[in-house]
Amino acid sequence: MIHVRDLHLSIGDRPLLKGIDLQVERGSVWGIIGPPGGGKSLLVKTLCGLFTPDRGSIRIDGVEVCGLDEPALVPIRRKIGMLFQNNALFDFMKVWENVAFPLARLKPDLDEAALRERALMRLREVGLAGSEDKWPSELSGGMKKRVGIARATMTESPLVIYDEPTAGLDPVTTSKIYDLLEKIRQSTGATVLAISSDIQGLSTFVKNMMLVHDGQILFKGPLPALQECEDPLVHQFIRGLSEGPL
Amino acid sequence: MIGNLLARIGGAFLALAHEVGGVVHLLFKVLIALVPPRFDRDELWRNMYKMGVRSVPIIILTAFFTGGIMVIQSSVFVKKFGATSLVGWGAGYAVFREVGPILLGLMFSGRVGSNNTAELGTMVITEQIDGLRALAIDPVNYLIVPRVLAMIVMLFLLTILGDIVAIVGAALFGQLLADVSFAAFWTSFSQNLHIVDLTHGLVKAAVFGFIVSLTSCWFGISVRGGAVGVGRAVNNSVVAAALGIVLSDYIITYTLS
Repeated sequence: MIHVRDLHLSIGDRPLLKGIDLQVERGSVWGIIGPPGGGKSLLVKTLCGLFTPDRGSIRIDGVEVCGLDEPALVPIRRKIGMLFQNNALFDFMKVWENVAFPLARLKPDLDEAALRERALMRLREVGLAGSEDKWPSELSGGMKKRVGIARATMTESPLVIYDEPTAGLDPVTTSKIYDLLEKIRQSTGATVLAISSDIQGLSTFVKNMMLVHDGQILFKGPLPALQECEDPLVHQFIRGLSEGPL
Repeated sequence: MIGNLLARIGGAFLALAHEVGGVVHLLFKVLIALVPPRFDRDELWRNMYKMGVRSVPIIILTAFFTGGIMVIQSSVFVKKFGATSLVGWGAGYAVFREVGPILLGLMFSGRVGSNNTAELGTMVITEQIDGLRALAIDPVNYLIVPRVLAMIVMLFLLTILGDIVAIVGAALFGQLLADVSFAAFWTSFSQNLHIVDLTHGLVKAAVFGFIVSLTSCWFGISVRGGAVGVGRAVNNSVVAAALGIVLSDYIITYTLS
């Protein structure tokens, strides 16, 4: 599904991604962890074409993403659902309009009643029945995440990216969010990339993990192998030790 | 010492070139989106309501007293020289050609332009613009073009409304402060003013709307640095729009006169 080769990206004169190589198979579920500022969010945004790399290759379903202009990126982006770190809910739209928005763009022939009905169905699935006519500013952090998840999965895209789906949430809400992500994944069969600082919570949802630090992937592989990794930085990060190279 | 001074001048010049270049680049993107039209019509109507209809009360208030001020300033000389036959013409000429468009343009920039910059800037720092792009929606077509069109059209229409209200205000204050009857005011107004006086001001209104829209959108979408960046962008946007209004006013007045 995703093939990334020798990906380099700089912003200004700061190199932020330094030779990323990655292969993600269709239907697989990957967690992306790493210290803050290491390039996790930048990597997934580059996959969506939101940043243009300096060099390297990104192929999604066999189509080269690098070098495409905005109109040419449209079919690629329609294959991707994304939850942003700050949710990125459109604050000039009500909750149901936010959720229905991607579908309205994908299927312009659907009328407002049909869109609303589909959005309400999705909102019920994420436990937000009754919140459809609220504005995003009226929601709590957990509710905003749920709306973001509902929007990201509304069109049942084959690839879904969650950037910090549980950041700032309490353990109970975190657990519920991961249950929800798993339920949605099972029903859609989508390929998933999920960024999180919460390794424990993420481990309940993903099967594979990669650790990104300083613009490089230090570890990638199945979840059990992460615990056995002998890289001192990976070892320190996953155990939360204060002593070490970080 | 001299090296530092030159570096500062060079830096300021580069910063100015970056902003001007950004506005021109945005203008080209807007023009490309207009031929053939690819903007969101619902967004256009929503912005026309928000920017235009909701500005009506403040425009009426500003214009009414602007007309009054024209008469108050001239009432001393009107009484002294008995020049009542000039009051309608004087008020109409000043309001139509200069005071109406420029005052309403600055008011519009302060109310609508600054709000637009803050809104777009907040959308940038909360990743809403990236959110649109990730949903395969071009932010220029969806957000910028409707706002540019709405601001140009609504400032044009608001200036027509403002001109009418200012003339009504001038006539009322003329009656109250300078003993100029409505009939005398109307005679002076209608016999001495021509349609070109009105169109002169309306050309300015359209240009001012264009300047306010482009500067406010550019400074909004180019925000960097969180809430502080939004504040700085709003400030820059209002200053740039005011400068643009005054400069273009000079050029239009010089050219059309």
